[in-house]
Order: sequence, then structure tokens, then C-alpha cells
Amino acid sequence: MNIMLNDVPFEFFGNTLTDLLDSLEKEAKGIAIAINQKVVPRSLWDRTELDEQSQVFIFESIAGG
Amino acid sequence: MSSLFIAGHEFHSRLFTGTGKYASADAMLASLVASESELVTLSLRRMDLKHQSDNILQPLQKQGMKLLPNTSGARTAKEAVLAAELARDALETHWVKLEIHPDPRYLMPDGVETLLAAEALIKKGFVVMPYVHADPVLCKRLEEVGCQCVMPLGSPIGSNMGLASRPFLEIIIEQSAVPVIIDAGIGAPSDAALAMEIGADAVLVNTALAVAKQPAQMGEAFRLAVQAGRIAYESGLGEKRVQAQATSPLTDFLGGLS
Repeated sequence: MNIMLNDVPFEFFGNTLTDLLDSLEKEAKGIAIAINQKVVPRSLWDRTELDEQSQVFIFESIAGG
Repeated sequence: MSSLFIAGHEFHSRLFTGTGKYASADAMLASLVASESELVTLSLRRMDLKHQSDNILQPLQKQGMKLLPNTSGARTAKEAVLAAELARDALETHWVKLEIHPDPRYLMPDGVETLLAAEALIKKGFVVMPYVHADPVLCKRLEEVGCQCVMPLGSPIGSNMGLASRPFLEIIIEQSAVPVIIDAGIGAPSDAALAMEIGADAVLVNTALAVAKQPAQMGEAFRLAVQAGRIAYESGLGEKRVQAQATSPLTDFLGGLS
């Protein structure tokens, strides 16, 4: 599926947020996801299906003051 | 030294710390461990899809440190609320350091947007720790809408200028019914000690630790300074006066010899 991920076109295999994260090979700890400016709680990642219009933003925790 | 309570959470250390600007994750951890800080701030950013970033969460949590996400990068109340909601999901905490600074040069906090965001976040159940200018009126307003503490600045972020806002900090401390945490600008242990001596409940330090040649040793220096300042405050400092007052009794036995 093709989506926009962090403002960049991105292709992955599958259709849920969990599939997307699997394809990124990133740790799920310390990250958060918003679709179309709304936070999707991690308890819903499994069930959240994306479509080609989805604007997905993934955030990660980093060092900061 | 007494404990500090914020939203029912007990802190034995009154030194809060940031995690930014360190040369390495190891240097950061060594410094924070030496500081005995129990509350450490983190930021969120859009994930870097190309590179794996350092995993700093695990070592911090292993040390038992409480994580405090900030809303750095937000320029409006709306962005800050979204950042706080993202952080709550990412770090599984409903505590947030609310900071909104639209101007990248001086990083001055926007008091209007901060008050709006604080109200919205408190309604959503967050423990809000707002970073603001040393503005006694705004600090009172933030307390009234339900902030569990206020975090006025000593001087601009990263400036190491110490307590440039001291007269206003003293008014805030006198008036506040919630803990006052002096954040930003604390450049030396003496600044931290002074903050505690004038009655601040805690300080938040980042740059001064992170840019030290020996961050771990500087962590220790700040730990001791904060403890010394707080213990002095709790012991009751003597008043300043212009005239001398003898510490030994002024006897006139020499006068008797002449």
C-alpha cells in the first residue's frame, strides 16, 4: 500500500498500522502515531486500517530539555 | 531535607534534569545518575525513517527516573495539545512539561498560548508543568486553571545567565500555592543553590550539565548545590543588614589596661 508517511510517499506490505511498523523495523516503545492530525492510541494500532489518502505521522522520543 | 510533592508524587531530589545537548547517551546517563535526579525531560520529534536513534528510554527507566515529555517545537496551544497527547501515548505518562516558544532566537515562552493549552490539557486529565516567563500574574492564572506547579525561567534557555529574573521569581515564590520550579538559564551550581535559598521548590537544569567537560562530575556538583541551598532555606537564613553586628561580645578589657 502507498501512503504519505511523515510527509514522504511510502510503500509497505499490508494495511494496518502494525503492518506499517513491522515494515519499518522500528521499536514500538517510545513512539506515537497520528493520522490526519489525530492521535491513534497504541491499543488501536492492530485494528487501524490505512488507505491511500492516509497522512500518517510517526513520532519518536528523543533527548531534550 | 524535606521531600517535594507534585500531583501526589514524592520526589526526594529537588534537581530535575533535561536530557538534551549531551555528547553521547553514556555521558548523559552518567551525569543524570550522579545528579540523583528523579525527573528527566524528553522531547518528541517526527521519526527519522532512515536512521536508528539511540535508545535512551530504557536506561533512564532502569534507573527509576520518571520521564517528563515536553511539547518543545509547538508554536501554538493547538500544536502543544497534540504534542502532549502524542507524548502520553509514546511514554505512557499523563505528565507534561508544557512549553510553547514560537521564536527560535530567544525561545521566549508564549504566555497566552500556554494558558490556553494548560486549560485544555487539564480538562483532558494531564498533570501540566508549564514553562513560562517569570511573570507573577501569569503564574497565578496557571495555578487557578489547575496547573500542579509552575516553571518560571531564570534567564533564556541555554544562556547560563542564572537568575536574571530574580525579583520576579521572589514574587512568584511568595504568592504561589503550587510548587515553583525554576527552569532555564541556571548555568552554575551557585545559581541552583541561590534558587533554592530564595525558596524555589526545585530547579530544572540541562545545558549546564550537558556542556560540562565532565558531565558526571558536574551532576554531582549540582546535586550538592541543590541540597545545600534547600537545607539552608529550611534552616532559615539570617537577614541582610547594612551595619555590622558583632559575633563576639564587645568587652572593654583592653580599655581597662590603658
